[in-house]
Amino acid sequence: MSIPTPHLAATAALAMPGGAPAHRRLLDQVLRFQGYLGLLIVFLLGSAFAPVRDNTNLFLDLPNQMNILRYVAETGIIAIGMTLVILIGEIDLAVGAVLAFSATFTAWLLTNGQFSTGTAFVTVLFSGVALGFVNGIVTTGLRIPSFVVTLAMMSFARGLARLIFGGVSIPLLPISEGGGAPESAFFFSQRLGGVLPVPALVMFAMAIIVGGAMRYTAFGRHVYAIGGNSVAARLSGVRVDLVRVTVFALCGALTAFASFIHAVQLNQGAPNDGYAYELNAIAAVVIGGTALQGGIGGIAGSVAGAWMLGMIDNALNLNNVEADVQLLIKGALIVGAVALQRLQRRT
Amino acid sequence: MIRKQLTLASSAALLAVGAMSPMLAHAQTKQYVIGFSQLAFDDPWRVAFNNQMQRAVAQHPNFKLVLVNAQRDSAKQVADVENLITQKVDALVISPNEAAPLTAVVRRAYDKGIPVIVLDRNVLGDGYTMFIGADNKMIGVKAGEYAAQWCAEKNYNPCNVLEVTGLSGSTPAQERASGFREGLKGNPNAKITASVTSEWQKSKAVPAAAAAFQANKNFQVVYAHNDDSTEGAYIAAKNASLDLSKMLFVGIDGLPDKNGSIVSVMQGRLGASFVYPNGAVEAVEWISRILEKGEKPPKKVVLGTDQITPTSAKMACAKYECEAK
Repeated sequence: MSIPTPHLAATAALAMPGGAPAHRRLLDQVLRFQGYLGLLIVFLLGSAFAPVRDNTNLFLDLPNQMNILRYVAETGIIAIGMTLVILIGEIDLAVGAVLAFSATFTAWLLTNGQFSTGTAFVTVLFSGVALGFVNGIVTTGLRIPSFVVTLAMMSFARGLARLIFGGVSIPLLPISEGGGAPESAFFFSQRLGGVLPVPALVMFAMAIIVGGAMRYTAFGRHVYAIGGNSVAARLSGVRVDLVRVTVFALCGALTAFASFIHAVQLNQGAPNDGYAYELNAIAAVVIGGTALQGGIGGIAGSVAGAWMLGMIDNALNLNNVEADVQLLIKGALIVGAVALQRLQRRT
Repeated sequence: MIRKQLTLASSAALLAVGAMSPMLAHAQTKQYVIGFSQLAFDDPWRVAFNNQMQRAVAQHPNFKLVLVNAQRDSAKQVADVENLITQKVDALVISPNEAAPLTAVVRRAYDKGIPVIVLDRNVLGDGYTMFIGADNKMIGVKAGEYAAQWCAEKNYNPCNVLEVTGLSGSTPAQERASGFREGLKGNPNAKITASVTSEWQKSKAVPAAAAAFQANKNFQVVYAHNDDSTEGAYIAAKNASLDLSKMLFVGIDGLPDKNGSIVSVMQGRLGASFVYPNGAVEAVEWISRILEKGEKPPKKVVLGTDQITPTSAKMACAKYECEAK
């Protein structure tokens, strides 16, 4: 019987005579909504410290908030896939390299290959699924830790990108700007109504779809079960290997989607792109509340984590804090988030 | 009745002047904020670039410089420019990491009425106020001609050239490559037999050149798109025990500091280099003319170069105040 693993603290609390002490209950609630609370705190701090010009709070200004959403969308989409991988207790270090490959592939298909937008999109998605599938099969079939497999894929995908496409960036411009690509592809770099960036829309749509699948399908329950206790899950009849491979393939697909958007937004496919994207995605997932051991956490938390990281970058940029300081803060946050989770586990 | 009208009129006049005076005072001491989106802070040429920019801005007490570092990430640079637009800077100066990714956002700033000056590397199209830069094609041609002549003087046949390029998506790399090939045509015995990339960075030039030397020890000329990469290739050549006295190392940048090529040529490591001016001083000068005097600038200003060779190095050292011992 597979049930989502409840917070261990809550279980212990229920077992105590008279219920859990108040501070324990408060901590539980904080931890459950870790991602959202962090987002709210950063939002408030960002607004408080923002410069004001011409009577506008530059942080709260709608175009600025939309810029933030546009900026975090790719990381957010990848983080959705990464959440699933981390939930089953694995890791995918190759997403940055897969992004480099898929983005270059996108530019090539739309320009040199003269593919239509729809066909190119499906082809790129398929390539992402294929690379993810390889990760899954090698991890599961050869019983090699995913850390090692995806580390290898990191090299492999980037080498593939450089080899096939010549190591050079491929420009990706619409016909109206002197390039060879169809205009419809650039839908992904537009803002609906001049306001809402399409990549952000995609991020939220994917979050709802995948999050919904996690909550309401057997597949979702199986993912949480494997993360909680894979032996128990297997004994309960969950097809652990199949789920594992599917999760890696899904992560590959979502990364490919993000890559398509990346290429279109930057007007180029670059095989040397995507460095550190895996770190940003993993950071988003961890800060959002999904523990690295798997079993606990969710999609919404990861999106909140990605959004929060983007808000921090933006707030610091508006105050002209050096780029290096932003890296320090990001590192501190990741450790802080994991430490918070350790606190919970200590009951 | 008339007194009432006079009182009314004079009160209105006083009010109007009172309302305008802060505006008048403001116009006299108007502060201008210049946003400078630099693509990276991590190589000597860019550090010199930033310093010159800061010094040029400091000459204008009512100018303030906001300097942002994109850390060689085009996506981050797009976000940096969006941020500068949000901060409502009075002028935008940008050295774009790559041409295609930055074109749209630079155009957005330009369309919003912010004067945009593009330095060093190009964007595509014409969505900017002005471009100030050296002619990379011309510098490449000069480098190629120098290499061709050197090969002829040494009577090397064949004269094999190893090229170490800059980041492929950046216009200077593309232009320095094509220019060099043109200049090299003067000597049919001189040919580029291998081309690797260091993406402008010394740390990447060493392994890239080392790999080339591993495959083929017979190179007479090494041409890198920037001095730092040439120095990296020099280190790789030394490690590979090549006969450095028979080789020519050519670079571009011509910095005067103690690690720069003027000193390097005087010390005999680099054989030739070409000064690549950054345009910082010219950019600030033009911003002052655009914002404070309302002038309409030319679309493109091309800066010149100086050749640094063993014969001209001392003169260059004097001209650029180099840090020779």
